[in-house]
Amino acid sequence: MDAKQKKRAELRYHGSRYGTGLLFMLPWLIGFCSFVLVPVGWSLFMSFNKVQVSVGGFKYDYIGLENFRDAFLKDNEFPVQLITYFQQMLLMVPIIVLFALFISLMLNQRFPGRFLYRALFFLPVIFATGQVLSELFTQEVGEIPFIDQYNLEPLVAEYVGQQFAEPVMSVLGNAVLILWYSGVQILIFVAGFQTISPTIYEAVRIDGATPWDSFWKITLPATVPFISLNILYTIIDLFTFPLNPVIAHIRENMFKVDTGYGYASALAWIYFAFIFVLIAIVLGLFGRNMKKRRARS
Amino acid sequence: MIQELKLGMAKAGRGLHSLIWSRRAQKAKLMVIGRNVSDGLIAKLVIYFLLTVVAYLYLQPILYMISTMLKPLADMYDPTVRWIPRQATFENIAKAFEGLQYPKALLVTSAIAVSCSIMQVAVCSMTGYALARLAVPLRAVFIALIILTFVIPPQVIIIPLYVIFSKLGLLNTIFVFLVPATLGQGVKSALFILIFMQFFRSQPPSLEEAAKLDGASTFRLFAGIMLPLARSACLVVFLFSFIWYWNLYYEPSMFLTKGFTPLSIRLDMLEEILNPTLLGNTRTIVNPITEGTKMAAAFMIILPPILIFMVLQKWFVSGIERTGIVE
Repeated sequence: MDAKQKKRAELRYHGSRYGTGLLFMLPWLIGFCSFVLVPVGWSLFMSFNKVQVSVGGFKYDYIGLENFRDAFLKDNEFPVQLITYFQQMLLMVPIIVLFALFISLMLNQRFPGRFLYRALFFLPVIFATGQVLSELFTQEVGEIPFIDQYNLEPLVAEYVGQQFAEPVMSVLGNAVLILWYSGVQILIFVAGFQTISPTIYEAVRIDGATPWDSFWKITLPATVPFISLNILYTIIDLFTFPLNPVIAHIRENMFKVDTGYGYASALAWIYFAFIFVLIAIVLGLFGRNMKKRRARS
Repeated sequence: MIQELKLGMAKAGRGLHSLIWSRRAQKAKLMVIGRNVSDGLIAKLVIYFLLTVVAYLYLQPILYMISTMLKPLADMYDPTVRWIPRQATFENIAKAFEGLQYPKALLVTSAIAVSCSIMQVAVCSMTGYALARLAVPLRAVFIALIILTFVIPPQVIIIPLYVIFSKLGLLNTIFVFLVPATLGQGVKSALFILIFMQFFRSQPPSLEEAAKLDGASTFRLFAGIMLPLARSACLVVFLFSFIWYWNLYYEPSMFLTKGFTPLSIRLDMLEEILNPTLLGNTRTIVNPITEGTKMAAAFMIILPPILIFMVLQKWFVSGIERTGIVE
């Protein structure tokens, strides 16, 4: 067998091997191209154009970065909304993740009836999305009772400043409904705790560690990857959060005649860039942290 | 002086110490405090207390929903009636039933949720299996792309998708969801693919080797052996997908606005149906006349998934732990 033949045989072998793999991937590949790649490319293209809907379809006028410039300079609502949303997120993500950690720590203990409680805390996953939730938001039933009782509003305004007070109050006002977003996170944490071997706890107990120590020295470090996973999941889950002002603004601009699809796409891309930076920061922080630990051990 | 004081304190401390560590005391301590944090009586009581308080706060909106739903109009205006209505009424439920066009909308919602979830299980398991076990070129790139599809906000691609669907004439039909789900781009498909990939990776390869030696084709191997093995993962994915399709609001509000409308969109329209004179910005107004009906409607929407969850709860929670979603 000469080299050429050998190579061809090798190729054929790889071809048939890759063939089945790719066949299994085929639906996803087609879907990815038609429902992700094309729309993403298209919307990027639109964001650099002024798009007008005419009888025969779309009319594109290339205007370069003007849409993006307009979003920050001409639009008086968008930058404010972006900042508001950012402030809300800054508050909501830690609240959700810490709450999930707290609850899952308790649910992880062995006590009779814990299945009932687990089911209870999972319940909001079933209805905590979409229209039902925003209906509840408008009724403002998600308030924690003590906010009114102790008249927290001036207190908050005093401590965090007038500018921050509004998002803080809106988050506090809907605290319960925001906590409803922690169902999946609780599940992830509970399943994450299962990965820590019980023998480690036994070992440190024999070495004389108190439960307090073993939480800080064992449970928490082992949970760090799940915390980062949950932070990412929470950020993504809040994309379609009913209180997200950016969604409404993008939709409004889509159907406005003088702004149209092009401008709306540009807004969506700015929003995406913003989220992407946020995710990259989280990944960077936790990635470095984990690498350090791996190097040390 | 200080020296003496210190000495005395140390002595007292030692006394106390020995008292605590005498055997009987130790036993009692074990019972109350326990060896682990969770074993003792005190810890358990604290946990029960905290969990119950939080659970009450957590479920309060639902209780509010149910109570408001049963209140007659007079009770809505009466500030002394807070939780329990003077006289329960089913008027709101009847109104909501009509306003939602409940039977039809329920059918639409369940058709979308069931069919899309089945397709998601089928396609995501295939893709996950390929990525976990089969030879796929550029595997790392594919995985990165899958994660990317999860991270892209729907707002970015919703406009082109709208145009594509309207060009294909799919708007206001079930296919706006069924086609992407069949092609692995449904709601949170990326997450499901990763779940299946993780699951298949954790299975021992000897099973497949044996089947291969017996001459099974890759597809038979997958459908006959690996998929039945992944039953718990399939159930978890199906249920999550079902719930997320059931509650989907953003996409239907773009694609399904006329004729073929699911429950979530009908709830959105309810205010206008109930109150035709109130045009324009109805979102921010809390209207006591329609509030009861809206709460009834919301309750009727979440009722079917809650019933399903109650029935399948045991398998669901244990399935999640068994699939090792998080590893």
